[in-house]
Amino acid sequence: MRAALAVAGVSLRRILRDRTALFFIVVLPVVIITVIGTVVQNPGGFRIGVLASQISGPPLATSLVDELKSVGPLHTLADESTARTALRRGEIDAVVLVPAGLDADLLGGQDVRIPVLAGGAESTQSAVRSAVAAAVARHAERVQAAAFAARTTGTTTAEQLPRATAVQRVTPRIGISTENVATGSDYLPLGFSYSAPTMLVLFVFINALAGGASIIQTRQLGIYSRAQAAPIRVRSLVLGETLCYLTFAVLQSILIVGVGALLFGVSWGNSLAAVALIGTWALVGTGAGMLSGALFKTPDQASAIGPVIGIAFAMLGGCMWPLEIVPDAVQTLGHATPHAWAIDAWITVLSRDGGLADIATDLAVLAAFATAMLGLASIVHQRRLTS
Amino acid sequence: MFAAFVIAAKDLRQRFRDRSALVLGFVAPVAVAALMSFAFSGVESFHADIALVDNDRGQIAVALRGALTGPELSDVLTVRDAADDAEARRMVDAGDAGAGLIIPAGFSAAAVGDKPIGLRVLGNPDEPLQAQVARAVADAYVAQLNADRLSVTTALAAGFPESRAAELAAAVANLQLPESVQAQPTGYRQLRTASYYAPAMGIMFVLFAIGFTARDYFTEQRTGTLERIGAAPVTRGVVLLGKSLAAFVYSVVSLGTLAIVSSLAFDAEWGPPAAALALILAFSAVLVALTALVVAIARTERQADGLATIVTFVLLLLGGNFVLLSQAPEMLRRLALLTPNGWALRGFTDLATGAGATSAIVPVLVILGMAALLGTIAAVVGQRRPA
Repeated sequence: MRAALAVAGVSLRRILRDRTALFFIVVLPVVIITVIGTVVQNPGGFRIGVLASQISGPPLATSLVDELKSVGPLHTLADESTARTALRRGEIDAVVLVPAGLDADLLGGQDVRIPVLAGGAESTQSAVRSAVAAAVARHAERVQAAAFAARTTGTTTAEQLPRATAVQRVTPRIGISTENVATGSDYLPLGFSYSAPTMLVLFVFINALAGGASIIQTRQLGIYSRAQAAPIRVRSLVLGETLCYLTFAVLQSILIVGVGALLFGVSWGNSLAAVALIGTWALVGTGAGMLSGALFKTPDQASAIGPVIGIAFAMLGGCMWPLEIVPDAVQTLGHATPHAWAIDAWITVLSRDGGLADIATDLAVLAAFATAMLGLASIVHQRRLTS
Repeated sequence: MFAAFVIAAKDLRQRFRDRSALVLGFVAPVAVAALMSFAFSGVESFHADIALVDNDRGQIAVALRGALTGPELSDVLTVRDAADDAEARRMVDAGDAGAGLIIPAGFSAAAVGDKPIGLRVLGNPDEPLQAQVARAVADAYVAQLNADRLSVTTALAAGFPESRAAELAAAVANLQLPESVQAQPTGYRQLRTASYYAPAMGIMFVLFAIGFTARDYFTEQRTGTLERIGAAPVTRGVVLLGKSLAAFVYSVVSLGTLAIVSSLAFDAEWGPPAAALALILAFSAVLVALTALVVAIARTERQADGLATIVTFVLLLLGGNFVLLSQAPEMLRRLALLTPNGWALRGFTDLATGAGATSAIVPVLVILGMAALLGTIAAVVGQRRPA
């Protein structure tokens, strides 16, 4: 056992002394969590573009723009061509072109059609347009009332508009209330609570796979063969390397969990469930690292192909986008990777307040993955070292 | 000059014989782009499924149902009838319906009275847009009712005799809201996921080639190959030119293959071939400059490897290869324009959305400018270093 610990210590020191590896272990996860967490936010509706000239226009035009805020975040754009370009690039969902003569036309009793340019697929465009149409209709209520009052009393719309506005404030409206009826989410929470757990799963696995390179290098340099000249059993060498990767995976997890909690305020849910999940995933990472060290022939292969496999598994397993959005066949395929089970478990823990019992199946599957990979890796390693 | 071609041909042969390089340059980008376009195939268009509960069955409720199932909204929403509130809740919670709309008992009668009863939308936080659209279409419908109610009240407040209120009620029945939206065509294609991620993934994998090429250079230096070439009547400039040419060709072939395969296999839109090729050539030039810079700064294989890795990942993260930049906050979109890959992606996005071949001119020029700048820095750094 002492020999195994010594091997683990030396290997771990070697990994941690490599400055490039430190970039992958420390800097990259934190930066990626920051970038993805910033991008994956709830937009809170459709992003509507309006032109700068419309914001400080005459009163009815301005109040229409205010009403549009209920559709989603407003983006002010310099002119129509800038707005069209932003729409084309998908930076906003629609552009509402409030006509310059809106106030004059409405007060003059004319009906006004407000041009809306919507982006995205055709059905998305219809959805955006109905959201804008609702805001426009709400804005038209008091204009219609003022025009009607003007007609029936022989006055002008402009005179009646302040009255209609005042009456609107005290007249009960047929309202619409929204109620949340979902009992739990099938998605991770948005923002950093999305990016931190997914990147925890991704990086522990990828860095372990790439770390397999150091085992291969040690083997190529003949260090294992020379070590066997000493009274050390092959089993101790393999055990030592396994311990090294386990420690490495646990350190990587602690770093991401800590950074998530301290820097980004991520809540990691039920602590017992979270610890069990992190521990089990560290074992999966260990298995992946040992297997990479056993199966790849050169360190270059491990450090070049390892990350590609890691990214592909992460994509299939739901670390890059929620599996809930992909076709059923892709979801099933995704569950061939351990990642999907880990992400499922994180969704249960973080979005449905799940405890240890709720993720027992996921943990069992992950443990099976870890056992299979570790078992296979130690058989291959022992065979390579004794032959 | 001829020697440069010989060196380039030798480097390329070596590269294409290396299976890792083939995987990274050709198999992985196509596989990843395929995976992404398959995964996102279901989310590119929006459709709302709304569970409707009619507890009222009055005239207005029937008219509302008619408006929801009308031809105008048929491509944006489908109405599914639910027997009662509980069933609608179940449907929304289970994901069988994106949102629910409940018309409460007594709705039609109360709509014309003093105490109107509101509609209720049942939403699921996993599907915020579904609830928003359900709310919007209901809102657009009740806006007319609200406007009619407000019109009567305003006319009375304006001095219309209370005794003739029945005349008002009859007159408002024919009113139409004076403002409505008018759909205007945008005149471009929507940006599809495949059209963004195909170039994004292609660029990611050719950026990995910086590490390969730089490492190969130092390997040749260590093994004495470069020194032996020096014995031939070939200047160092020609050697570097040959190596740059090989890296350039590798990048062009890799991106070109991806462009052809992804356009044919999963409808990725690369725009006019000449413009796309110009972007690919410009980006390959900047890739050579970046490689030269890494070779100029690094002293050993390991340093080159580490530096290349860091440069690659910083560019990928800032440039938007991992996230759909159009969904990102504006700050991230600005940061992306500090990188050559960010400009290339902007160029490809513009071409994919049908902006016309000339839209590629600015990105190509900016990228070439970056290549010239980086190349000059590499030359200056390289000259200063003792041979």
